Amino acid sequence: MSAHHHDHDHDHDHGTPPSPYHSNRRSPERTRQLTEQVARLEAVLVEKGLVDKAALDGVVELYENDLGPMNGARVVARAWTDPAFKQRLLDDATAAIAELGYGGLQGEHMVVVENTPAVHNLVACTLCSCYPWPVLGLPPTWYKDAAYRSRVVHDPRGVLADFGTVIDDAVEVRVWDSSAEVRYLVLPERPAGSEHLGEEQLAELVGRDAMIGVTKAGAR
Amino acid sequence: MNASLNARPEIAEMDEAALPRMSGELVFHDEWERRAFAIAVSLAEQGRFAWPQFQANLIAAVAVAEAGDPLHPSRGYYESWLDALEATLSQAKVLPDPSIVHQAKERL
Repeated sequence: MSAHHHDHDHDHDHGTPPSPYHSNRRSPERTRQLTEQVARLEAVLVEKGLVDKAALDGVVELYENDLGPMNGARVVARAWTDPAFKQRLLDDATAAIAELGYGGLQGEHMVVVENTPAVHNLVACTLCSCYPWPVLGLPPTWYKDAAYRSRVVHDPRGVLADFGTVIDDAVEVRVWDSSAEVRYLVLPERPAGSEHLGEEQLAELVGRDAMIGVTKAGAR
Repeated sequence: MNASLNARPEIAEMDEAALPRMSGELVFHDEWERRAFAIAVSLAEQGRFAWPQFQANLIAAVAVAEAGDPLHPSRGYYESWLDALEATLSQAKVLPDPSIVHQAKERL
C-alpha cells in the first residue's frame, strides 16, 4: 500500500462500475471500512511473503477473463458431436472436462446431468455458492441470492418460468444441489435444427444459463 | 414489475439488479471484493489451507448473514466471504493472531 493511501479514501468508488445492487444497501462508510480491512489483510500477507500483488492481479485476470461459460460451452458442443466423449463425460465428468484442458479450484468432483425429452435438470447451491468455476467462471449474483437458492427447491417450475423457460408438465424437473463434494453441470438438449452445425458453431448456442439449467440451449 | 413477479413475493421484493432475468451482471461490485476473492484463491492454490475448509466457513458465514431474513441478509456475499477467509486463515495458522492485521493499520 502506498503512503498516499489515506488521501484517496473518499475516492474509492471512482473507477469502479456503478453498482445498483450493493450501493443501496452498503454505506460509503462501510465500503471504506471494508476497503481498509482487506488492504490491511493483503499488506500483512505480502509482508509475510504469502501473496504478492502481481499474483493477485493474475488471479483476478484469470477469473474475470479466462474462465467462463465459453469453456463449458465447448464441453457441451463436444458432447453433442462426439458420442464417445459424451459417454466419458457422463461417466466421469472431471476427467472428461480435463481432456479439454479445464480444471482447477471448484472444478473437482464434477457431475454432468443430461437433459432429455423426459427430464430437465436444474442446478443450485442451497447453502452458499458452489459452482464449477473452470467451466462456468464465477456465478452470477442471482445464483448466490437466497431467493433463487431457496425457491428453486420448492418451486423449480416457477423459477424456470421467471427465466422464460417453459417445460412441459410431462417432463420431470430435477433439482441438483451443488456442494463442496459435488458440482453439477447441465448438458442441455441439442437444439432442433442444429444438425448441420459444427462444434464451434454449436458452442455459440450454449449459454451459461442453459448449463445451470434455468434456460435451454439456443434460447435467448 | 409485471404481474407474474408480483405474484411471487420473494422475487418481487428482490432488488431490480438481483432479478434472475438480468444477465451480464457484475461479479464484483467493489475493488475490495476482487482483492478478497483473489487472496483466498491464491492462498488455497498454494496449499495454505484446504478449499473445503474455506467453503465450510463460507457456508457458516452465509448462514449467519441470513439468520434473520434470508431475503434481506444482514451483510453482502463478499462480506461473508471476507469473514470466512479470516476465520480460515486463523484456523489454518496462516495468520494465527488476527490482531496482526489490526496492528498493521498504522503503517498504511
